[in-house]
Amino acid sequence: MEQFFNVTGNLLEGFGQNCIIFAVTLVAAIPLGLIVSFGSRSKCLPIKSITRTIVWIIRGTPLMLQLFVVFYIPSLVWGISFDRMTAALIAFVINYAAYFSEIFRGGIEAIPKEQYEAGQVLGMKKSQIFFKIVLLQVVKRITAPMSNEIITLVKDTSLARVIMVPEILKGAERFTMQGLIWPLFYTGVFFLLFSGLLSILFKFIEKKLSYYEG
Amino acid sequence: MSYLNVENLKKSFGRNEVLKNISFSLDKGEVLSIIGSSGSGKTTLLRCLNFLERADSGKITVGDKVVFDGADEKNKSEAEIRKNRLRFGLVFQSFNLFPQYKVINNITLAPTLAAKEQLKTNGEYMGVKSLKEAQQLINQNAEMLLEKVNLLEKKDEYPCNLSGGQKQRVAIARALALNPDVLCFDEPTSALDPELTGEVLNVIRELKDADSTMIVVTHEIDFAKNVSDKIIFMDEGVIAEQGSPEKVIDNPSNERVKAFLSKVKNS
Ligand SMILES: Nc1ncnc2c1ncn2[C@@H]1O[C@H](COP(=O)(O)OP(=O)(O)OP(=O)(O)O)[C@@H](O)[C@H]1O
Ligand SMILES: [Mg+2]
Repeated sequence: MEQFFNVTGNLLEGFGQNCIIFAVTLVAAIPLGLIVSFGSRSKCLPIKSITRTIVWIIRGTPLMLQLFVVFYIPSLVWGISFDRMTAALIAFVINYAAYFSEIFRGGIEAIPKEQYEAGQVLGMKKSQIFFKIVLLQVVKRITAPMSNEIITLVKDTSLARVIMVPEILKGAERFTMQGLIWPLFYTGVFFLLFSGLLSILFKFIEKKLSYYEG
Repeated sequence: MSYLNVENLKKSFGRNEVLKNISFSLDKGEVLSIIGSSGSGKTTLLRCLNFLERADSGKITVGDKVVFDGADEKNKSEAEIRKNRLRFGLVFQSFNLFPQYKVINNITLAPTLAAKEQLKTNGEYMGVKSLKEAQQLINQNAEMLLEKVNLLEKKDEYPCNLSGGQKQRVAIARALALNPDVLCFDEPTSALDPELTGEVLNVIRELKDADSTMIVVTHEIDFAKNVSDKIIFMDEGVIAEQGSPEKVIDNPSNERVKAFLSKVKNS
């Protein structure tokens, strides 16, 4: 029993790291992703093609590789280095901003141009049209894909162990090396609880937005 | 001089000259119907009047105010364009209601935003000085308009729960809420089941009786004939024939008009 509490405390400490990665990525990657989605829809061709190329590279390579790149390349090339957590956060934010931007772009492009025109002929400004007409319709359309992506993020946070961030799986591996196997499987409970809570939250949001169709 | 004057309006998309020198005029309280085959430029003309497209050249005046002059269009600020565009209203073929707002709020949204802006800049909106009073006025007006299009009992519904004909009547009320000088309709009944066109056409008829100035693009030849003071037949970007319904529909001189009318009547 004492061992159980000991392990649980230890894993919780590790899970705190996962939570930090999760929270920071969410808070930073959503606005960054919105900016990137504007970039990839830009009328200025260079901005558009550069943005889309970067998004393509980030979505086309493993997050694990990106973690290595952010952690090792700056010190190899410029002699500066981030601490492990900072490197992990940078990689996660960039990676998820790229994924989010594609979801936002899809959501924005799914709004028919007639909605903008209806606002225009009623004398509304561009910003009013975006915030009063388009935004909520976009939010409704992207809730489902965003919840998938965010739940994937919960699980992805454990990838940070490849650059030695002491997250929960890293912690469990220490027990494994001491011959204690079960904590490794026990970590699953933490992820399940967390993603379960998120699912409930997203169901709630979806329900809130289901008051209208279209 | 008439109330609405459109002079030498031209518009091209790339090399495609869609409007070639369109000129017409309309008196206050008159109804103009525009007919013509697909691709002749009818929608583009309405879109130019509503500034959804910018004409390349030409001049539009409403009353004694020049709202568009191709010669000095570049000097116009966005705010000025917005003000000019409010002289025209547009009802779309596909309604384009805002799905997330109740019927009543579809109508009050734009006036409320306008009121906020005017209260900020002039300290006044339609004679009242607070947002609350302005909203009351706007709400009353919206309910009056809903009554006019016979939909007051649907004011708290969302658009997804309305039939096509009801949606289009809400769209008409929404456009009227901004008091446009000229209300334009782009095939307002084309997206409707035949049994629903009547209720929308009736609303337009009632508006005519209330002396609204209107431009209606339509394929409903009988309706055009009955309700219009004037008819324009467009063909490949030019006005091939214009005049009274009797002249254009009953005694057309232009061969293209004759061909078009016999095709429409037989379908
Ligand atoms: N945004 C645009 N860009 C390029 N070409 C356009 C655009 N809008 C319209 N056109 C072209 O202009 C021409 C006239 O189109 P318009 O929609 O005004 O015709 P219409 O008379 O309304 O036809 P319909 O009866 O089918 O609605 C067509 O050849 C069309 O392809
Ligand atoms: Mg058309």
